[in-house]
Amino acid sequence: MSASALHILVLGTLALIGVGLYGLLAVRNLIKVIVALQIMVKGALLALVMAGAAAGQPNLGQSLAATVIVADTVVAVVGLALAVQVRRHVGTLDVRALSSLKK
Amino acid sequence: MANGFLIALVIGLPWLGALIVWRTGDTRPERQHRLAAGFSLAAALAALLLLTAPGDSPALTLALGGLFGDFTFIPDGLGVLLAAIATVVGSLAVIFSMDYMRGEAALGRYYALVLFFIGAMAGLVLSGSLLAMFFFWEITALCSYALISFNNDDPKAVAGGIKALLITSLGGVGLLIGALVAYAYTGSYQIADLLAGTEAIPPDVLSLIAFGFLLAAAAKSAQFPFHSWLPGAMEAPTPISALIHAATMVNAGVYLLARFYPAFAEVPGWTTAVVAVGLISALMAAAMALVAQDLKRALAYSTISQLGYMVYAVGVGGVFASQFHLLSHAVFKALLFLGAGAVIHAVGTRDMRQMGGLGRRMPFVRNAFVIGALALAGIPVLNGFWSKELVLEAGLAGGPGWAFAGMLVGAGLTALYTFRMVWLVFYGEPRAALHAHDATPAMRFSLGALAIGALLTWLLAGPLGHLFEATLPHHELHVLSTGELVAEIIGAPGTWLALAVVAAGLALWWWRERFRWLAAMLEPLGRAAEQDFGFEWLNARIAGATIGSAEALRTTQTGLLSWNVAGIVGGLIVVLAVLLLAWGA
Repeated sequence: MSASALHILVLGTLALIGVGLYGLLAVRNLIKVIVALQIMVKGALLALVMAGAAAGQPNLGQSLAATVIVADTVVAVVGLALAVQVRRHVGTLDVRALSSLKK
Repeated sequence: MANGFLIALVIGLPWLGALIVWRTGDTRPERQHRLAAGFSLAAALAALLLLTAPGDSPALTLALGGLFGDFTFIPDGLGVLLAAIATVVGSLAVIFSMDYMRGEAALGRYYALVLFFIGAMAGLVLSGSLLAMFFFWEITALCSYALISFNNDDPKAVAGGIKALLITSLGGVGLLIGALVAYAYTGSYQIADLLAGTEAIPPDVLSLIAFGFLLAAAAKSAQFPFHSWLPGAMEAPTPISALIHAATMVNAGVYLLARFYPAFAEVPGWTTAVVAVGLISALMAAAMALVAQDLKRALAYSTISQLGYMVYAVGVGGVFASQFHLLSHAVFKALLFLGAGAVIHAVGTRDMRQMGGLGRRMPFVRNAFVIGALALAGIPVLNGFWSKELVLEAGLAGGPGWAFAGMLVGAGLTALYTFRMVWLVFYGEPRAALHAHDATPAMRFSLGALAIGALLTWLLAGPLGHLFEATLPHHELHVLSTGELVAEIIGAPGTWLALAVVAAGLALWWWRERFRWLAAMLEPLGRAAEQDFGFEWLNARIAGATIGSAEALRTTQTGLLSWNVAGIVGGLIVVLAVLLLAWGA
């Protein structure tokens, strides 16, 4: 893999993780939080594929990435189901309303 | 291998029994009693058979692989002796419970926890892997906690259980740190590798392991400054006090010190620290036993004091003396606790001020209790006499003079508080109109077996010594046959000195009216002892400070998602920075 391709991939990874992290820190809507989490995981996926290619073991990196895609889908589904339940019980999707366990 | 199968039985039978008794359900109490007794007796039989087939190499290996290494089980002298004590005293305590716990609710929970404990205790002493030992160590602590709090609608029982759990878990951290550091330097969790490979460990790291283990041992064996959990543990049903808090679990600390003595003996300051811990515990607890009003608490203080003797014996290099005293103490203190249990069961109170003159109404219990008391006081031909003399002899030969003098004073105090206890409970005039009846058949069986043990176990000294010599390659032992040992003890000047001190303790009690002036002089000391020498106050302060700081730190728990994510990322950045710095250095 050429050096410039590696640079592009590293930048892409950092950008995806950065956008996801910003979303997690700043966004208050639970659905958007799950979207942000997904963006972050896509960054990690890209990093896995890139690391596999850079280390000369593209098969390993890609099969790990495929595994992560499966796990990540489950996370998204469960997260969205939780969001539906939160909306039903709490009446809002604002994550600040979820701190009611404190006290 | 045959003894590997026996080890599996010794640990597995009680655990299987625990499951079966629990599944039997509390609607069939008779079957629960019989099943528990059957499984504990079978385990005791397997442990006694194991005594005849010792070895110094792993007899049973569970290859867990990876980071856990192999969980090995080694039937060496130390291990089989303590496993036999745990299962035999355990089965006697279970048989005693058949009458003591009759009619109690939640029998299934009681017996399941007792049997689970017996198996875990056997596993703790037989395991040859530090990590397996740590797991069993914590299982015994959890069982002890659950059984102290067995009457879980009594706030005192719950508080006592939590106190015991907190303090012994603190000690467990010492053991875990020691085990992990040993793994980092020797590359193995096997105890034999640590004992053989101390040269490969830098001195300061070895002393970290040694003092970590000392912390664990002091917390488990209720030694200074962690002794305060044991009196609180007396809220447990009395057979539990006899089994866990006198005969087995509290010995685990002494066992740990004895097991690793060859590795740590050369660590600067370690043996002195061990001697000091034993000495302070022995004297302080004896003073507290002298002023205690609660029969079980008096016995608990006496246990701390006698464990102090064993710790002291390890500190002066008398590994065999400490284990021999451990055997004697397990037998006579289990006898005393079960005798106390029979008394408490009959009269319904633990306050010695309300007892008195009970001997005429319960002669069997009195006779058994007096045998145990004489052994505790160190009166000749009972097992406590031989083992205590052996401890004192080891102290005179290998330890500092000031410690020996202190332990002699402790022997006198032991005699004094023992006779006070016997007198208050069984002799004199009845001080309250208490209904009393003598022990029931199952109680008589346990008491009788232990009383015979208190009279006879010292005859095992020679065979035990040879067993230790044959199977503990890293310990340097000075082994004698029973006859030679008896001759040596009788011929030693220390014995006669100790007997004179014991007689002085006895005389002090006998002519206590004439020594009123002495009692008046020591009044402030007695009051300090009643206040637990301020340790209860200190414990309350530490608990208060912990709860206060937890309350203060609650404000950092906002419960907001974005703050938590920021915390995780911040933590990750710190870890990465540390790794980068370490990598650059």
